[in-house]
Amino acid sequence: MVCGNLSAMASPRLLFICGMLALAGAAHAQSKTPGGIPLPPGMSLAESAAMRFPQPVRVGDLIGREVLRPVESQDVLGRVRRVIRDANGQIMVVVDFGGFLGFDSRPIAVPVDAMVLVGQDMEIVAFTPKQLRQFPTFSPIGTTDVADDALIKVGLAKPSH
Amino acid sequence: MRSPFRPDLPPDAAALDDHKPLIRSLERRGLIRGGLSLGALVMLTGCDVRRPEAVESALLAISRFNDGVQALLFDPNKLAPTYPASMILRPPKFNAYYDVMDVRPVNGATWRLEVSGLVTDKRAWTLADLQALPQTSMVIKHICVEGWSYIGGWTGVPLRLFLERVGADLRAKYVAFKTADDYPSIIDMASALHPQTLLALKYGGDTLADPFGYPMRLRTAVKLGYKNPKWVTAIEVTNKYSGGYWESLGFPWFAGI
Repeated sequence: MVCGNLSAMASPRLLFICGMLALAGAAHAQSKTPGGIPLPPGMSLAESAAMRFPQPVRVGDLIGREVLRPVESQDVLGRVRRVIRDANGQIMVVVDFGGFLGFDSRPIAVPVDAMVLVGQDMEIVAFTPKQLRQFPTFSPIGTTDVADDALIKVGLAKPSH
Repeated sequence: MRSPFRPDLPPDAAALDDHKPLIRSLERRGLIRGGLSLGALVMLTGCDVRRPEAVESALLAISRFNDGVQALLFDPNKLAPTYPASMILRPPKFNAYYDVMDVRPVNGATWRLEVSGLVTDKRAWTLADLQALPQTSMVIKHICVEGWSYIGGWTGVPLRLFLERVGADLRAKYVAFKTADDYPSIIDMASALHPQTLLALKYGGDTLADPFGYPMRLRTAVKLGYKNPKWVTAIEVTNKYSGGYWESLGFPWFAGI
């Protein structure tokens, strides 16, 4: 889709295709270090999130975002359903996790410090899909919703592709 | 009858092996990959495919030709599409040739912008100096060569205005940039003078955050993302092409959109 934009906006399509030859080097632009770097031993989630230049983001802007796995294939793990504060006051992102084509997914609560913003998407960087499958299904008892207008801070990562 | 174009000795098929990574990286461009046979390479370039450097230089020559045509076709008065402020992605998407943890923030208080080359005023600029110049805002799409894009809102000093203030020779060929993260870049003067090319100081109305190039980065709507260096520390007006980070790795120099 983006490529379509490019050719439409720019020079004639033919030139663009010629240019592709020159883009052979584009593979170099890919990340050497995928967005998901395992936590260094002994480092807490909060400490690792702090190294990722957390940026303010409006909670309402997170709802519905795709949640990806920080690997080159960027597998979709789920979608953001809501943002809550758990009984300890910690901010958690409730993700509709797993399933197929949106069916049979279940909500799990992932600490916001285990996640990053990658443009319009989010990634879970601190847990593998295997670990996430062990997460209990989210229960709202004892939690409070974070208002859509609230700003929370979320770390960044470069694209994983 | 034997074709007069058939070489006496068939080319060594090992020549393609030498370029396997290069050809594999064309995976998504099936059309080209399909056409990039040994024979096509010989026909296309007339080069000696037994010499890997010959193939590479032939491909780079094609790239340079494309750059030249793009530069010829560039219309300095044509504006890139703009978008309503409500579409601004906050925060913007981070990208660099390294991960975000390796970002080294720049101190805006001690930061200076060096100016050199074909200009009459080579005095260094402070952030306050730049903030005192007239500012322009634009909501434009950032389009990355990797295929992703997002809409961002940028505010800053039009590069044209800055170049006029420092008495730059606007007939010079290039404007080159140096950055705090060692990411040199260079653009053509026509793109530098385009009204949608800014020395950006703000994003979405707020001061640029550290990962996005504070205190100042280049933001142009007429080039691909990798032609937008962040944490700019020096600007040079020159007639000499000095290359850039990705350009030195084979990316096209002009990269217009």
